[in-house]
Amino acid sequence: MANFDLTRINCQFLDRHLTFPLLEFLCGKEIYNQQELLEYILETVNKTNMIDYTMDTRKRLNLSQEMPDELVQRKAEVLATLKQLQNEVAPIMKATDILKNGESMKDSKTFVNALQKDYNFKVEHLESAYKLAKYLYECGNYQESTSYLYFCLIVMSPNDKNYLNVLWGKLAAEILTLNWNTALEDLTRLRDYIDSANFSTIQALQQRTWLIHWSVLVFFNHPKGRDLIIEMFLYKPLYLNAIQTMCPHIMRYLATAVVINRTRRNALKDLIKVIQQESYTYRDPITEFLECLYVNFDFEGARLKLHECQTVILNDFFIVACLNEFVEDARLMIFETFCRIHQCITISMLADKLNMKPNEAECWIVNLIRNARLNAKIDSKLGHVVMGTQPLSPYQQLVEKIDSLSMRSEHLAGLIERKSKQNNKESIDSWKYY
Amino acid sequence: MSRFFANGSDSESESSEEEVQAPNFNKASAFQFSDDEEEVKRVVRSTKEKRYENLTSIIKTIRNHKKIKDIPNTLSSFEDLTRAYTKALPVISKEENGITPRFYIRCLAELEDFINEIWEDREGRRNLSKNNTKSLGTLRQKVRKYIKDFEEDLSRFREAPDQESEAEDEEAHVSDAGEAADDSYAGFKKEASVTAPKIAKSAPAKSVPADDEDSDDSIDWDSDSESETESSEDENQYQNMRERFLKRSTEKGEDKGDDDKRKDKRKEQKLKIRKRAEDDEDGEWETVVKGHVVEKPKMFEKDAEIDIPLVLAKLVEIMSARGKKRTDRRLQIDLLFELRDISDQHNLGVPVSVKIHFNIISAIFDYNQKISEPMKMEHWALLLEVMQSMMKLLLANADISISESVAEEHEEYITAPFYIRGCPLAAVERLDDEFTKLLKECDPHSNDYVSRLKDEMNVVKTIELVLQYFEQCGNPNERCRIYLRKIEHLYYKFDPEVLKKKRGEVPATTATSVDVMDKLCKFIYAKDDTDRIRTRAILAHIYHHAMHDNWFQARDLVLMSHLQDNIDAADPATRILYNRMMANLGLCAFRQENVKDAHHCLVDLMVTGKPKELLAQGLLPQRQHERSAEQEKIEKQRQMPFHMHINLELLECVYLVSAMLLEIPYIAAHEFDARRRMISKTFYQQLRSSERQSLVGPPESMREHVVAAAKAMRCGNWQACANFIVNKKMNTKVWDLFYESDRVREMLVKFIKEESLRTYLFTYSNVYTSISIPSLAQMYELPVPKVHSIISKMIINEELMASLDDPSETVVMHRSEPSRLQALAMQFVDKVTNLVDVNEKVFDMKQGNFFQRGNMGNRGDRGYNRNQNNQGGNWGGQRRDNRNQRNRNQRGHHKNQQQQQQQQVQTIDEE
Repeated sequence: MANFDLTRINCQFLDRHLTFPLLEFLCGKEIYNQQELLEYILETVNKTNMIDYTMDTRKRLNLSQEMPDELVQRKAEVLATLKQLQNEVAPIMKATDILKNGESMKDSKTFVNALQKDYNFKVEHLESAYKLAKYLYECGNYQESTSYLYFCLIVMSPNDKNYLNVLWGKLAAEILTLNWNTALEDLTRLRDYIDSANFSTIQALQQRTWLIHWSVLVFFNHPKGRDLIIEMFLYKPLYLNAIQTMCPHIMRYLATAVVINRTRRNALKDLIKVIQQESYTYRDPITEFLECLYVNFDFEGARLKLHECQTVILNDFFIVACLNEFVEDARLMIFETFCRIHQCITISMLADKLNMKPNEAECWIVNLIRNARLNAKIDSKLGHVVMGTQPLSPYQQLVEKIDSLSMRSEHLAGLIERKSKQNNKESIDSWKYY
Repeated sequence: MSRFFANGSDSESESSEEEVQAPNFNKASAFQFSDDEEEVKRVVRSTKEKRYENLTSIIKTIRNHKKIKDIPNTLSSFEDLTRAYTKALPVISKEENGITPRFYIRCLAELEDFINEIWEDREGRRNLSKNNTKSLGTLRQKVRKYIKDFEEDLSRFREAPDQESEAEDEEAHVSDAGEAADDSYAGFKKEASVTAPKIAKSAPAKSVPADDEDSDDSIDWDSDSESETESSEDENQYQNMRERFLKRSTEKGEDKGDDDKRKDKRKEQKLKIRKRAEDDEDGEWETVVKGHVVEKPKMFEKDAEIDIPLVLAKLVEIMSARGKKRTDRRLQIDLLFELRDISDQHNLGVPVSVKIHFNIISAIFDYNQKISEPMKMEHWALLLEVMQSMMKLLLANADISISESVAEEHEEYITAPFYIRGCPLAAVERLDDEFTKLLKECDPHSNDYVSRLKDEMNVVKTIELVLQYFEQCGNPNERCRIYLRKIEHLYYKFDPEVLKKKRGEVPATTATSVDVMDKLCKFIYAKDDTDRIRTRAILAHIYHHAMHDNWFQARDLVLMSHLQDNIDAADPATRILYNRMMANLGLCAFRQENVKDAHHCLVDLMVTGKPKELLAQGLLPQRQHERSAEQEKIEKQRQMPFHMHINLELLECVYLVSAMLLEIPYIAAHEFDARRRMISKTFYQQLRSSERQSLVGPPESMREHVVAAAKAMRCGNWQACANFIVNKKMNTKVWDLFYESDRVREMLVKFIKEESLRTYLFTYSNVYTSISIPSLAQMYELPVPKVHSIISKMIINEELMASLDDPSETVVMHRSEPSRLQALAMQFVDKVTNLVDVNEKVFDMKQGNFFQRGNMGNRGDRGYNRNQNNQGGNWGGQRRDNRNQRNRNQRGHHKNQQQQQQQQVQTIDEE
């Protein structure tokens, strides 16, 4: 399944620290050579300050149990730097702790003022706080890093050169500490900042591409994310354009999100348009599934693709949690489309198309009928499902049209009435002048 | 679609006015002309003398007018002259055996030269008064028309020794006069024996008056010879003098002696002039040329030490004559070549050589004074050669930098970093333009064109050299310009390697033209700061992609560049390129099975009915002076050379076929829909014109084939349809023009099958309750899943009221035909809906402006209308006016509505 694996591409757009979960996930999947993967992880880890993680990886690679001197030395160095940075920031943090309890915490401006007035706060302090946060992050201490970053965000003005970095750092740290709620907040803040800041076109595109990749992590883990991902990727032209030009592979996640979101069925049409447009740059079983089902009405193809989808999802870190939902919803989609087209279906064929056993399928359909989601009857003697839908009679059509007509006229009349009332008042007013 | 005619020649309007008027003048004069002819019937004795006298006097006035450049008067005198000549015509034919008298021809020749000179001199022409300009145009046309009758005489005159050569206007006037006089003298000697008796006979009658007048003029011959008109008078004098010599040479001995004296002086001047080797010179001239060869070394003093400053000084001296009216341009070129040889002989170094090369190039460009006309072939060859050798020199010597930014005084020829002023970029651009002009000049179907086209290689090579040079040392801007030149030679050429590479037949590392194009264009996208170069590069890039079937890349480029939005603001050449690009994109979409997109791309071009004009592949036949000659000239300059043309028949066929594939199923689906819109107007026109024919024969032309196919498709007969579209005739006419024609044909048949199936289902679904899918598949020779998919799509889109019955594999139709009453009711509802739509629209529209604060929206309900009328009385004057007016409108509106509704009810009743 390596040919549908997107980890390699996704990692290009993620922070070094964000890639570790992905890589670790892959280790458990046996798609790639375990040894090579671990070596790659080691190499990546070496670029950070996470000494313990490095050691752990070395152990897994069966390298010497002893810590090499070089590493020992580095560890000492790291600790020393950390100490130094902490010392620099300590007074200001103490002050913050004190102020936190007071009134001045409510508003960032008053807070800054209070800091400056009472504790001799300077810009250099902010600088060192930022450095410390960065250093902590690099050491893998995300929790503490967030608190410093939070401080920075409050104190910093949006014009500061580090402001964007702080935003990014905060988002990364929140993601890594699995704080999805705050991560979502930070995500929106970062997005607003990117949209409003004056980047050159190419920079903005780059920033958005990164944001898109990071946000996928958040969206699939936050309960509200499934609506938001559609909202952001599909209905914000700037982001849709970014996906189309820079990273069409994001279509996979967008498609998954649409499939598992039953309430947003109308997004499907737009999605399919985009998929068709980009079909030459990116295709994978998930987009192909939708294409088969809604463009070509090739149910056999859809069935096969659905089968492939399962393995793809199983091996994708981002969406692995949605596997069952996806399969269930995809089946429903196939069935719905089927029902719209057919008036009589044999259960055995249906079972075949849905990748189910006939008994299971019958049971499934019975459940659907029982839940009143389907107007149909089962002819068990012949093994058929007969749809109960009747086409619109001309009479009904007529009534429907007239219905809308009367609605519209009423609305119009209402408007007019309001206007005339207003006018009456006006004319009465004008009377007074005579 | 007047994409590029919109602002084509606004600036030319003034001159075009003048052109329009010209024919009227001609008509008038022609009328008078014939009138006079009738009068001439009476012949009187001694007419000849009278007539000739008349003629000479008019000629004299013309001369005087010319002298002060009084063009309107010249024009009227010229008209007098022609009239007088017509009068004299019978006499001439009788007395002179129909030979036109020389002085008359001479006058005509002079006049022509005079006009040409003024005409050429654009600067001067612009400064002329409006009246003068107008007359000049008229005069020029008249003279041109008139002298056609005398062409033979004129050419003989120009050849003959007493001529004042065509280049008269370029010559130093004094020497010119001398030459002419000399010529007439020499010519006299030669000719004397032949013509003597004849002239002798006629001379006495005429020479006396002419003599008197002319000798008066000739008194101040030497001092007053500044203007060339004067000098030509002198020539005339000598002609007369020759006649005098014939009769009484001894009497005029004094005159002759005078002549001889001057001759010595003139000889020197003459030698200089003779140097240019006229093609049409006779043997007598050649000896003079030889004389010049002897003189050549005169360029430098015999024992002068030839070094760089000297050569440069000479160069400056030669070039300073550039652009002057009487400079002999050919002489200049020759001199420059000579200078180059000299500098090469003396090893003066590469920089000097480059400089001279550069000057040769500009001299060659200068040779041709008319911008619209191409240069001569031999010059062209010379130019290419010089250009290439110069570029080679430049490339071989990296320490020379040549650019426009170097000021004259900072040029450096002696020590190492050399600086030369000049711009090879401009030169190569001009060279390229000249090449296009050359191509456009010759007939595209002749071998001439092919042989000319072979030079394309050389041009590309030259551009390549310049490009190399600028890649070494050139700022991004210049590189963009030269890249664009290369792109413009590249983009329309098909490279089969690209397709092979796509199929993996050649290794992926081979550099194809698409790769080259990519590289060049990307550089321009990144570096260019003038919008025009980028736009053109994008257009060419898309064109190239489309040509090689890179449909998606081409489409994305179009969409991302947002060209459609602002192409209307571009210059005509760019708009033409845009149209060409669109045409090609349409063809590409068609090849890539995107019929709808193909139609979209082509519809703008085809709907106007003049794709030929829009693609600049020929002018439409002119209707009633739609454009003036000036405008036509401009449009001609824009035309594409033939080898870059897009086949129009192919284009139209692709358009019509894609329109057919879209339109026919649509017609079938919406047969009874009141709101049906046509997709393609052009296609409808074709259909209608075929329906108008009382008898439709078997199709002959491409259009007839498509129409016949469309008719077959309407009854779902795919076989017939496919046969009409794909057959031997259509193959040779259209489809074989595609690179992979077989694939295209297969695709076409596939589409025809599918669309025919859809049409069939739309058209005949009401006669079936159910249709078996396998039998449909058999009928249309399509695989069952495909049929299934097509029908499913139709059901989902609610085009077909049916559903599938899986166990029996049939389509069950649900479409219950509405009863008559129901149908009418539906129609009625549709119309009422329209009414409500209109109401809403009116409401929305009025809401925005004046009526916002008033009670205005009462159109919906008649009751309010009445109320309002009552209120109306209470309102102030101005307001009341408004109100009443509005009420009237409203009432009118309501009346309309009522009428409409009544009508509708009536129609329903009738039905």
